[in-house]
Amino acid sequence: MLGPDTAAYLIVAAFLFTTGALGVLIRRNPLIVLLSLEIMLNGANLALIAFSRHFANGDGQIFALAVMAVAASEVVVGLGLIVAMARKNLALDVDKFSSLRG
Amino acid sequence: MNAAAWTCLLLPLASTVLITVLGGAISRRTAGWISTLSSGAAFAAAVVVFVEMLSRSPEDRSETSTAYNWLVAGNFKVGFSILTDPLSVFMMLIVTGVGSLIVAYSLGYMDGDDEERRYFAYMSLFVFSMLLLVQGGNLLFLLIGWGLVGLSSYLLIGFWHERPSAVAAAKKAFIMNAVGDATMALAFFLLIQKTGSLDFEVVFAKAGGLSQTVLVLVALGLLGGAVAKSAQLPLQTWLPDAMEGPTPVSALIHAATMVTAGVYLIVRTHPLFELAPNVQDTAAVLGTLTLLIAGLIALVQTDIKRVIAYSTMSQIGYMFLGAGIGAYANAMFLLMAHAFFKALLFLGAGIVIHALGGEQDIRKMGGLRKLMPKTWWAMLVGGLALAGMPPLSGFFAKDSIIAATLGREDWFGYVLFAAAIAGTFLTGLYTFRMLFVVFGGEQSAYVREHPPHAARDRLVEWSMGLTVAVLAVLAAFGGWIQFANVWTPITDWLRPVAEPLVEATGGQEAIASICAVAFGLAGIGVAWWIYSARRAAAPRAWAVLEHKFYFDELYNGLFYWPAVALSRVLDWTVEGPIVNGSIVGVADLTRRAGGWFRELQTGLVRVYAFALAAGLAVLILVFIAVR
Amino acid sequence: MIVASAGNVLVWAVWVAAAFACLGSGVAVISFSNPFYSALALIGNLGSLAVLYLLLSAEFVAAAQVLVYAGAVMVMFLFVIAYLGGKADTPWTGQLPAQTIAAIVASAALLVEIVIVIAGQADGHLSKAAEITDAFGSPSQIGQLFLTDQLLAFELISVVLLVAAVGGVILGSHSREQSPVETDDARA
Repeated sequence: MLGPDTAAYLIVAAFLFTTGALGVLIRRNPLIVLLSLEIMLNGANLALIAFSRHFANGDGQIFALAVMAVAASEVVVGLGLIVAMARKNLALDVDKFSSLRG
Repeated sequence: MNAAAWTCLLLPLASTVLITVLGGAISRRTAGWISTLSSGAAFAAAVVVFVEMLSRSPEDRSETSTAYNWLVAGNFKVGFSILTDPLSVFMMLIVTGVGSLIVAYSLGYMDGDDEERRYFAYMSLFVFSMLLLVQGGNLLFLLIGWGLVGLSSYLLIGFWHERPSAVAAAKKAFIMNAVGDATMALAFFLLIQKTGSLDFEVVFAKAGGLSQTVLVLVALGLLGGAVAKSAQLPLQTWLPDAMEGPTPVSALIHAATMVTAGVYLIVRTHPLFELAPNVQDTAAVLGTLTLLIAGLIALVQTDIKRVIAYSTMSQIGYMFLGAGIGAYANAMFLLMAHAFFKALLFLGAGIVIHALGGEQDIRKMGGLRKLMPKTWWAMLVGGLALAGMPPLSGFFAKDSIIAATLGREDWFGYVLFAAAIAGTFLTGLYTFRMLFVVFGGEQSAYVREHPPHAARDRLVEWSMGLTVAVLAVLAAFGGWIQFANVWTPITDWLRPVAEPLVEATGGQEAIASICAVAFGLAGIGVAWWIYSARRAAAPRAWAVLEHKFYFDELYNGLFYWPAVALSRVLDWTVEGPIVNGSIVGVADLTRRAGGWFRELQTGLVRVYAFALAAGLAVLILVFIAVR
Repeated sequence: MIVASAGNVLVWAVWVAAAFACLGSGVAVISFSNPFYSALALIGNLGSLAVLYLLLSAEFVAAAQVLVYAGAVMVMFLFVIAYLGGKADTPWTGQLPAQTIAAIVASAALLVEIVIVIAGQADGHLSKAAEITDAFGSPSQIGQLFLTDQLLAFELISVVLLVAAVGGVILGSHSREQSPVETDDARA
């Protein structure tokens, strides 16, 4: 294969994943949390595509497309939730929703 | 004979059960009648037994009847059995006879009390327990009766349980009796171990083969029980406090019957005591000391019932003296006469207390002679009997014991003789002090303000009056059953069971009687001089006497405060850290742990997500390391 | 790993550029305080990812990424962000709370562990990439796979999309009167 080895792509994917995870854990605005979630999903996608190329198996790309579709659906629902929250004049801050507090 | 004996035992028990089960369904007076009639019927049964026994020859008068095997443990068997022999019949007659008179008196005395039914149930329970004690066919059932009379005493002393003093007195009586129960139980354990049985015949037969140490220990254990039950030195402090109970209770339990159980015990187990003569002598010494000390304390008492209580303590000292030197029949004779005249005195005092609306302080009384003449005559008879004046019962009974001390003819006997004679002086003095202060002289201010009121109704008047009259007759003439060496039906009756160790000669009897009567008259004379004729002022009471020789304080210091201190220490070291720490601490720890875990539920999504991420990191680490 | 050749050098250069753009935009997404800028950074991220897909011979996926992800999903995002607006929290200013530091540590740990596994060649499975045909990653191959081997996945994806659409409509409707939701005073 031309260019860097599969391992390099995988390391980039790992970076993306942890960056997304960090974003989910740190940020309080739900919109930014959703964006970070997207980054994580994309990191996973990259890993899938890299492995698909490594083993010359198209199934990885199918999986990646499925992930993309699911990500899209999730964004739809998530944004719908956020809009509903905003319509009720709730603060857009995930820390404020702690009624499950024991 | 056995059927009658069982009937006598079980009738009072049936009465208790009946009154308890019927509860509020019967009227208060009906409960009283049930109790009285059952006691009377028990007396009738005892008479039947007596008559039956008379018809037999003296060797044939002892019978044990076993209902069933109550306890079987290997070779050790104890049956629920009763012993019908001259000694037990003697006691049965006294217990049921005087008992039914006193229960009848209670019909009037306790009339109107809210808890009358409970009272009569307890009284019947007591009669049953006392009968079980004297009829018990083996030592174990004697002990069962012993414990039950202690229980009945506790229940009846604390009858008016709203009064803290009554409750405290009941506890004191029970606990001191429990000390005696414990020593008796220890003695019984030794007997079981060494002789393998608690039946009278077996124990007495095998006792000769036991070592002296064992015999002394057993006899000491029995003596401990007797001393506790009969309120002798050193376990005497509960008896005066027991006067918190109703007056008939004081009469029946703490004068006529329960406190004499100790004397009965010594007479019943006299073979064991005779094998440990030092212990028997100790019993005599304790009795003598008690009779002197109690007599001295009685001189300064101001509560009419306490005077009579200390008098009881003193007279039982005479009985212990008699049993201690081996004059068993004489001791039992005094037991009988004492039952008559002491019950008479108590019941008469009860009439006075009732009439004055509950007042018991003799300093507030005076001049009741004109207001209550019949009571005065009854109490006079009782007082003269107590002081040992002829021809009343006390004279015959007490002098026989004093004569027996002379009959020993050794220095020990002479010392006891001197003490006993001194006791008669004290007896005369304190008895007539009480009589002259209460009945003689002018009416006190209190009496003028609270004139004795008439009885509420005929039943009350008759129940209290008639029973006192009967007892007065018994106290007067009851002593004519035995006279010195000349006529000794009681000694002969008891001879198969308890052969006396000493018999006084005619001369010794005469000396004893003359001295006793003389000193008794001297005591009466001094009382008259000071309290009636007012020719001299009453001396100030010594503090030692007023504080009852400081026995209460001594026991307080010896037992109560150390126990309190020990329990405080234990509370601090054991209760706090260990008990609380372990049990409560576990609960506390669980609660706190729950609290900590609760903190984990922050409700924040970010925290949960972080937990996920951290867990994942750890898991991957584990996988890497393991691979 | 490093094989020097002309085509290789080009691929390497493109890879480095795309990779760094990817990583940089990723960091940018989580760093901006303005959500709009974060969304724009994400679009950049998606674009660089598409380049990486091309380098991995996944042409269809790359195209779908740009069309669907960057084109549709992100536009939707931007709509909502524009509608809601507002300033987001500022993650890197002031004293970092303990939770942030813990999160950084956890993420770093995760990264380190994954890199270790990859660098260790994952038990030798990452040694040599397989040879591929020209048709690999082409729409025809994807289409063939979707309609033969992965038919079930295809159908399920369409169901998921349908459910998402319905859900979105429901969430967005005004019809129901709902009681106001309470918010607690959360810990910061």
